[in-house]
Amino acid sequence: MVSHKYSFELKNDLSELETLCQHLNKFGQATGLSEACITDINICLDELFTNIVSYGFVDDLEHVVRFAINLEDCVLKLNIEDDGIPFNPIEQKDPEIPADLIDVRIGGLGIHIVRKLMDNFRYKRERGKNKMTLKKFI
Amino acid sequence: MEITHRVENDLLIIAIAGRLDAATAPIADETINKTLAENTKRLLFDLSALEYLSSGGLRVILGAAKEIRRREGKVALTGLTQYVYEIFEVSGFTSMIPIKDTVEEGLKDLAS
Repeated sequence: MVSHKYSFELKNDLSELETLCQHLNKFGQATGLSEACITDINICLDELFTNIVSYGFVDDLEHVVRFAINLEDCVLKLNIEDDGIPFNPIEQKDPEIPADLIDVRIGGLGIHIVRKLMDNFRYKRERGKNKMTLKKFI
Repeated sequence: MEITHRVENDLLIIAIAGRLDAATAPIADETINKTLAENTKRLLFDLSALEYLSSGGLRVILGAAKEIRRREGKVALTGLTQYVYEIFEVSGFTSMIPIKDTVEEGLKDLAS
């Protein structure tokens, strides 16, 4: 059985998106997962982290967002935890994609992308924290 | 992230290189809006050196494309890597904006 665990933390600042990418590259090297797979993980964690940083905090203090990646055989599990305001992304409706560009409403695409690229997406609020779990079968 | 542009036969070509995500989107948006002259009606995005794109960055490209369409102009994309194409595809935009393999094909499409 192949098992890999990797965890890291990011500050609530969008400049950390580059650090996120570096962590995933390290995880990719350690596991030998394909570049395409690592990129899918990167984009999903990016979208959720960007939402947390952009809308999750009502103060100006520094917060920490925690990530844990667990690969067991062919199941990849991603956990994200933050202490921001309660936000359940599962409840967000996918944006309607109109037929013509001129009618496109720009927003809400991030969670839509996560749903498309991952196989399972769960949320719970526990002890003042938002906890999201994503699964991908690889 | 780096944005360069050039004009060829009344046609604006904007090349975006590097990472276009929520962190770099505001500066990209500002740069592209400055680049879009009032009379620009034909725009080609060269994304061949775009290494990373998230929805925050996608919004910038869509915003500019929408503005050109509002002017009843034409927009095309070129040089998409497989990954960048995937982001456009899962978001449902590959059917709305013409996507060409090379700058030459993109220019031909916009000139027609």
